[in-house]
Amino acid sequence: MASPTILREHDAKLGLVVSIHVAVVAWLVPGLGHLVLRRWGRALVFFLAVGGLALAGHLMRGELYTSQSRDSFGTLGFLADFAAGIFYFLPRVLGSAGPDLSGAAGSYGTRMIATAGIVNLLGVLDAFGIARGRRS
Amino acid sequence: MLGELRISHLAAMAIFAVLVFVAMACFSRRTFAARLKFAPWSLALFLILGVGPAWLMYPFSR
Repeated sequence: MASPTILREHDAKLGLVVSIHVAVVAWLVPGLGHLVLRRWGRALVFFLAVGGLALAGHLMRGELYTSQSRDSFGTLGFLADFAAGIFYFLPRVLGSAGPDLSGAAGSYGTRMIATAGIVNLLGVLDAFGIARGRRS
Repeated sequence: MLGELRISHLAAMAIFAVLVFVAMACFSRRTFAARLKFAPWSLALFLILGVGPAWLMYPFSR
């Protein structure tokens, strides 16, 4: 029979694995991590906030950075954009007119898409913290 | 295919502020009442700090 210490270590490892899975689904679909943890309100808020920012950014023809950026600013932009989960792929799936940075709207759009990713990243950390029992 | 959204600078800033501060309220405050207080207060401050300096600089722009 396993000792209580071994069982506690096993539970801790299992808890970490579950938390990582929660973080991955929270990244993939904004709010889904909270939904899994039965935080209905936060799930809805994160989905609407991240989705709204990303959608507004794409509709304002903001620039979506790719992994092939040649400078560090572009790489950071890609990481921020990619953090938005499924919303990063939205223009590829639905099709878009492409970025237009000739006006202010395009610049606003670029920032909104990046902000969507950052907000989702905070959501991932929040969901991970809840799953680990560090946040309520 | 995604369309195109044509809005003013102020509307773009307002949309940005509303979505960000609703999410921020969820992160930083635990109770619903505290979130309800934090979100509009931060939103108002963001808009004032965004528009206020522009108004202050306007007389010097000509």
